[in-house]
Amino acid sequence: MTAIETSSLEKIYSTSFGKQKVQALKELSLSVNEGTIFGLLGPNGAGKTTLIKLLLGITFPTFGSAKIFNEDISGYDFKKRIGYLPENHKYPPYLKGGEVLHFFGKLSGMEGQQLTKKIDEMLELVKLSEWKKTKVKAYSKGMMQRLGLAQSIINDPELIFLDEPTDGVDPIGRKEIRDILLELKSRGKTIFLNSHLLSEVELITDRVGILNKGSLLREGSVKELTEKKEEYTINIDDNDYDLLNHSDSSHQITKLSDGSYSVKVDDVRSINILIDKIRSDGKIIKEVLLQKSTLEDMFISLISKAEAGEEN
Amino acid sequence: MRNIFIITWFTLREAMARKVFLFFAGISILVLLGSILVFSLVDTQSFISTMTQGQADLVVSEIIAKLELLIISPLAGLCLLLAIFSSASFVPVMLEKGTIDLLLSKPISRPQLLIGKYLGGLLVVFLNILFLIVGVWLIISLKFSYWEFSFLLVSLTVTFAFAVLYSIIVLFGVITRSSILGMMVAYLIFLILSPLLQLYKAELHTFIENGFAKTILDGLYYIIPQTAELMGKITVEVAAGHGIENYSPVITSFFLLILVMSFSIFLFRKKDF
Repeated sequence: MTAIETSSLEKIYSTSFGKQKVQALKELSLSVNEGTIFGLLGPNGAGKTTLIKLLLGITFPTFGSAKIFNEDISGYDFKKRIGYLPENHKYPPYLKGGEVLHFFGKLSGMEGQQLTKKIDEMLELVKLSEWKKTKVKAYSKGMMQRLGLAQSIINDPELIFLDEPTDGVDPIGRKEIRDILLELKSRGKTIFLNSHLLSEVELITDRVGILNKGSLLREGSVKELTEKKEEYTINIDDNDYDLLNHSDSSHQITKLSDGSYSVKVDDVRSINILIDKIRSDGKIIKEVLLQKSTLEDMFISLISKAEAGEEN
Repeated sequence: MRNIFIITWFTLREAMARKVFLFFAGISILVLLGSILVFSLVDTQSFISTMTQGQADLVVSEIIAKLELLIISPLAGLCLLLAIFSSASFVPVMLEKGTIDLLLSKPISRPQLLIGKYLGGLLVVFLNILFLIVGVWLIISLKFSYWEFSFLLVSLTVTFAFAVLYSIIVLFGVITRSSILGMMVAYLIFLILSPLLQLYKAELHTFIENGFAKTILDGLYYIIPQTAELMGKITVEVAAGHGIENYSPVITSFFLLILVMSFSIFLFRKKDF
């Protein structure tokens, strides 16, 4: 089942009395399956927050359409099944932590004992129980983020949008938030995550989309996006053996500083042919590794290429 | 309805946190204490006989109504000025980035959100005005042992005048996301335009010969909220228990309120945040 589906979604902002136009999203088609964690990455101004705002009806699309749980986003009933933690969220400073959850819980349709119980449960989850009766103006940035996370899941939503959820949170707090998100996923929740922290996204997401200047550059699983499909590292149990002798048009071989070899091939068949040659030479192969880049490497390379392509 | 109630309730909470109630209550208590002090020095019987000397037809009820109005009239005007000042930021604060995003992500429609906020502001002002009016009424009624309940209705006419001005503040709040312009327009109407247009209609109408100017002024008289009439003649009539002689200012102001609020909701429904 699909939790989110967008079709050629576009957003153009007009500024200066309509004289200047900024295209925040360009024909964005995307689908996110239920029960998965989807990470949306992109540099500042890529359109990540705009996409979430469009999906939640905070801003309106110029063209295209979107559905959440197969329901058109122009209504507001579907929001009962949604939780949202915006970037730079503001809570009324005169409210106490528990009152913030009470207010947003009520707006989400909760009442009475069910809400009271849920408030305590949520504060316990984000480790803010002791701060329940403290006004939020006394909260630190990290505490506000944790309260925001509690607010976003108070109504036990099926789909949760999180915009930079770990912003301002210390490493231990970030780990705790990651654990909460993984726990929510294990309960079948769908999570849509906007984040700058690529290493974190890499750790918890099932699929990732990379957005730049309103266009979706790539989308796939972290594994798919970080695999260098045609590059391997081969480690042979003989320091005197010179694999460079086998270098030809289908095998570009480079010796690495640790004595192992980096091999670029056209396809999987080519690496198998090379392995056969090494073994026929009577050598023992200690390991063959498919080279992977980190999400960060891939992200930077992709954005750089997109920028360079635009300049050309 | 439930959503409107939640937003209204939290607007009251916001007003309490911003000490709006405390501020109003402080002023009201000062006025009430002053009234108690003055009336404790007055001998009721000699006061009434002084007031009725040479005016045999002046009955006690009218003396009391005039006395109540004498205290309330300047205070109601002051209350309205303070009400505009203290409620002007309710909508702009709601529209701040980070706040509106959260509210709109909840299962509540945009009209419900704006109406809830509007009613919240109205309720804040109504409760404060009611406190002052009930206080003055109690002091005078106890002193003269005369209970004229129609005076309490003044709280409704003052709140209605505020409701009309507040709809304009809400409109400018939605358009500009700031409280300044709405507040300035409300003050301009209440302090200058409405009194001038009332003066024109009552006194100067017959002296203006230019037909075009007359048409413009007549048009403005009906377009601009008639807060001067609402706070003046109509409030006096209501306080005295005579009933409203001319409903035209109430009707035109009410239509304007509906029109302005409808336009605010229309804009709010279309606005990107």
